[in-house]
Amino acid sequence: MTKYVKYVDVTKCDGCRACMVACKNWNDLPAEHTDFLGSAQSHPKVTADTWNVLQYIEHENGKGDLEYLFRHSSCFHCTEAACEKVCPEDAISHTKFGTVVIDQDKCVGCGYCVQNCPFEVISLKEYKDKNGKTYRKSQKCTMCTDRIEEGLQPACVTTCHTGAMEFGEKEAMIKKAEQRVKEIKDRYPNARVYNPQGVGGTHTIYVLAEKPSVYGLPENPKVPTSAILWKDYAQPIGKAMIGATTMAVVGAFVTNKFFSKRAEKAEQEDGGESHE
Amino acid sequence: MVEMNLNRRQFLKLSGAAAATLAIVELGFDEKNVYAKTKEFKIAKTKVTPTICCYCGVGCGILVHTKNNTVVYTEGDPDNPINEGKLCSKGTTIRQLYTSKKRLTKPLYRAPGSKKWEEKDWEWMLDTIAKRVKETRDASFIEKEEGITVNKTEKIASLGGAALDNEETYLLAKLMRGLGVVYLEHQARI
Amino acid sequence: MTNHWNDLQNTDCALIIGANPAENHPISFRWLTKAKEKGGKIISVDPRFTRTSSQADVYAALRSGTDIPFIGGMIKYAIENNLIQKEYVAKYTNASFIVKADYDFHDGLFTGYDEATRTYDKTKWVFETAEDGTPVKDETLQHPRSVFQLLKKHFSRYDVETVCTVTGTPKQDYLDVCQTFCSTCKPDKSGTIMYAMGTTQHTVGSQNVRIYAMLQLLLGNIGIPGGGINAMRGESNVQGSTDFALLYDNLPGYLGAPKATVPEHATLKGYLEKETPPTGYWSNKPKFVVSLLKAWYGKNATKDNEFGYQFLPKGNKNYSHINLFQAMYKGELDGAFMFGTNPVVGGPNAGKEKEALGKLKWLVAMDLWETESASFWQKEAGSDPSKIDTEVFLLPASASFEKEGSVSNSSRWMQYRWKAIDSRGEARPDLAVIHELALKLKGLYAGSTKSADKPIQALDWNYGSGPEPDIDLVCKEINGYDLKTGKLLPGFGALLDDGSTSSGNWIYSGFYPEEGKNLAKRRDNKDTGGGNFLNWSYAWPMNRRILYNRASADPSGKPWSKEKAVIWWDAKQKLWVGTDVPDFKPITAPNEPGGVGPFIMNKDGVGLLFAPTLNDGPFPEHYEPFESPVPNAFSKQQLNPATVIMEGDFNKKGKNSKYPIVATTYRVSEHWQSGSMTRNQEWLSELVAHMFVEMSEELAKEKGIKNKDQIIVSSARGEIKAYAMVTKRFKPYKVNGKKVHQIGMPWHFGYKGFATGDTANRLTPHIGDANTMIPEFKAFLCDVRRADV
Repeated sequence: MTKYVKYVDVTKCDGCRACMVACKNWNDLPAEHTDFLGSAQSHPKVTADTWNVLQYIEHENGKGDLEYLFRHSSCFHCTEAACEKVCPEDAISHTKFGTVVIDQDKCVGCGYCVQNCPFEVISLKEYKDKNGKTYRKSQKCTMCTDRIEEGLQPACVTTCHTGAMEFGEKEAMIKKAEQRVKEIKDRYPNARVYNPQGVGGTHTIYVLAEKPSVYGLPENPKVPTSAILWKDYAQPIGKAMIGATTMAVVGAFVTNKFFSKRAEKAEQEDGGESHE
Repeated sequence: MVEMNLNRRQFLKLSGAAAATLAIVELGFDEKNVYAKTKEFKIAKTKVTPTICCYCGVGCGILVHTKNNTVVYTEGDPDNPINEGKLCSKGTTIRQLYTSKKRLTKPLYRAPGSKKWEEKDWEWMLDTIAKRVKETRDASFIEKEEGITVNKTEKIASLGGAALDNEETYLLAKLMRGLGVVYLEHQARI
Repeated sequence: MTNHWNDLQNTDCALIIGANPAENHPISFRWLTKAKEKGGKIISVDPRFTRTSSQADVYAALRSGTDIPFIGGMIKYAIENNLIQKEYVAKYTNASFIVKADYDFHDGLFTGYDEATRTYDKTKWVFETAEDGTPVKDETLQHPRSVFQLLKKHFSRYDVETVCTVTGTPKQDYLDVCQTFCSTCKPDKSGTIMYAMGTTQHTVGSQNVRIYAMLQLLLGNIGIPGGGINAMRGESNVQGSTDFALLYDNLPGYLGAPKATVPEHATLKGYLEKETPPTGYWSNKPKFVVSLLKAWYGKNATKDNEFGYQFLPKGNKNYSHINLFQAMYKGELDGAFMFGTNPVVGGPNAGKEKEALGKLKWLVAMDLWETESASFWQKEAGSDPSKIDTEVFLLPASASFEKEGSVSNSSRWMQYRWKAIDSRGEARPDLAVIHELALKLKGLYAGSTKSADKPIQALDWNYGSGPEPDIDLVCKEINGYDLKTGKLLPGFGALLDDGSTSSGNWIYSGFYPEEGKNLAKRRDNKDTGGGNFLNWSYAWPMNRRILYNRASADPSGKPWSKEKAVIWWDAKQKLWVGTDVPDFKPITAPNEPGGVGPFIMNKDGVGLLFAPTLNDGPFPEHYEPFESPVPNAFSKQQLNPATVIMEGDFNKKGKNSKYPIVATTYRVSEHWQSGSMTRNQEWLSELVAHMFVEMSEELAKEKGIKNKDQIIVSSARGEIKAYAMVTKRFKPYKVNGKKVHQIGMPWHFGYKGFATGDTANRLTPHIGDANTMIPEFKAFLCDVRRADV
């Protein structure tokens, strides 16, 4: 099955944020209260109700020129997806298109995926059922897999007017990205394709105008070792041992520390905040 | 209703066509299959009506999807050559013009000195407005000024209308001039 | 717009000044991006680095209110570096006309100025004419009193050094702009100027637009693909509503409203004689006027009663927005209608405009929302309801897709909107409400025998017998009929001045040429060539997409270049042909009389480099805004000498010693106008939820302000509170050696809706442009401080 990717050329983005509204409109997501962040940016990062956020970055480049950079930020749909590996309920899976989706019926809201995502693009939300009982679910961009199944493109791509976003076959999009980087090298000497191999490549690939750290992105993200351990060793063993149907119960024994990706992340990153 | 014959199938084809690389056949796209599968698909059974965006002066085409007497989705009209299916954040939002909790749904009246709105029916409102217009016009109408016929009232103003349809602006301009209104202004000035 | 949105893809260079289309007209960037992919350049000139600037190849900062020096310097640069399209200038503009010796210019004043009335005697600015009335020309452009030489002399004062010390633009950036844009003078290149309210909302707003047009004429950029002068309209139908004359000084189709102050206007004959030029397309004006009167007064318009001309109101003063609110504030108005407008947020000196509404006896507001203006009497608005006697009627209006009708975009494309759903709640379309109100009023006046009531009785109002008006009948009335046959007219070329035709708006005549064919409904999106889409909707006039397209061909009728061809003379067919509808008589050969001049609406068929019609001078000249931090470097005239200054507490002026910082207002992508259509939408409210003020890091440091602090901005009119957005995208200017700070803020906020905040327009002055009275929102003085000190 051919894999598809969302191609994001940040140098063509003019910051209109149609992608943010289109996502909410298609996915029926509610608006949230937002604080003033000191820039044009609306949300510090994606949330359970806001699956993509446009970053606004004022950056003085090597020549001392001001660049006003934008980046459509949402789930990367990693090939080696940490979230998928750590999910104790097998609620997270890859579709035939290569997109990573959460089965909301299976999700028990344990939050391991949230903790292990190298890009911090999964969020938990608390809901109330009819009886007022609270429960939690993980939420993130689905790449509009329901639309893809019907032959439509993701809503954010469909609405993007400058061609900053496209949706297409992986190989073609990677080629396009590489070609684009060549074209813009004069203006953006640090331009590069961002399709990190530490997570096996992603299904949202970027043409970045600057180093990843300028966007608050890890230079070389990896699936946390703990996640691999968990998926490939602990989980099968655990299941075999207690025959538990709810692996999250087992997971409760595992401290957050075990899954803390932050220790690993510190080594990978060379700093840079997404805004301010 | 519309000369566009834009049924759902065509819409899909149009939108999909933009993504020629999407190899629709490979994705299992065929009409029967779609109808079988689309019970839950958001826009499976919506009525689609083309409109033009109500915000800025670009004039982008938008498709309004309605179902069960509400607007369930709005997306760029891929047929419109101005925007080719693309929209900005505002254009994408027009669904909420219908769904917003803040929409006015009833005529409201505020009496002199009152602290609150009162709901009134349309008939009463328009009858009362017509009376007020007549009272003011009659009390202030100037037929002649220094021998010249001027037929005007300088006590009634009409403001706004840059978001009205052409046909509405035409009738409004005609009615106001017909009443002798000279304080006639709209957003082109501000 | 002379050109249209799709045509932007054809440009070699877009000079974006006084506008921020990436934020306010985002889809324009779909076409600009395509132009860039073909090697086109984008220039952004703006006081602050915007989302548009982020997409530009060249960015130049300028202090608000200095467009004339900026472009004036470009004109000098183009002339001196021989970067003008000479033949175009000689043949298609009035550069060759000889101006009479009366004309002069000295220290900021043109001849004919009367200080007492702040007006000019325009008869001092006229051309030499031959006996037959045609202008005397020197096509070598060497005559010392030729327009070209006078223009050259006028702008010789706008040298790069002086310009940059006034505008605050870094010199190298300025030269980059000059070089990049003036390179479009070549016949195979085109440059467009895109502007919006950043241009017009100044005391010199009209001259700002004019100087852009002059530069474009000198570069030969008007009438060609990717060229033109393109005003980006801010509302979906501000184009249409202007065409249909929701403005005091016009009748539909830009026919001047008759005035009590012009003695000739006492009769139709006198009005037509006075207002109709002998040559140019406006020589047909009597046909348009009489046909309008027939549309409005029907059978009550006869030859014997001057076709009902006397029914029209005749004003005796300027009734524009600023004057309207001054009059309201003084209690001179009793009642007002507001159709989808919100002056308590959007008007200049909005705090006072709010107070003015309280002087009305009655106010009718029709809107989708409870706006700040409809609820101006509430405690939240800072009012004491018990002291306000205004009766307010708030009518719920249908949204655009809950009714049907057409809107005209910036490109003059008239596109139809169909009804998608029944109106929410009890909301009704404005069309139905205006119609019902008209019928009720006609009913109230039905039995009257008073002469004062004749005008309303005579108004022809026949839009079907149902409770809702038949919109199709309205459309057809606009297009117009041959009243002898009852058939729809094919276009305004068929209009007559004898009462045998009707048309509610001559410029739209032709959009409904036969029964069942409302061309605004067309949806054939095949590109008919050049990206003009001639079968998509309808563009007035006569479906032309690029205005003045005769100028795309040389005087002999050949395109100046293959790349920029639009129409050309086909000698075999004896026709003008091409990818657009000719904006010219299609059968007039280039060598026939009248076969050359592309600017057919002007008397002499040429573009006006020298415009003796404006109130503030035949050439643009720099004057500082009403409130400015510096003296005018170009002359002793600080403020536009022809601007009307209103005294009194409605318009207090701030001194630059007390208010040293320049301020401007603008919009953001996520909100629209006064915010009622976006702050009542949850999704847009979360994107920009708070009122903010942008300022440079340097200013913030001087004032002890940190990013995200709450600050107070004050002007002579009032104070507002907002968040500080400290940004690298604003830099202080160096103006004549002095550091000048500028801040900027969105004007969308008010106290209603999901996203609320203080209203920027509480700070703005009540002063307008010398020609249009458009308020000077874009440059005023203020001060800032932290809210907690």
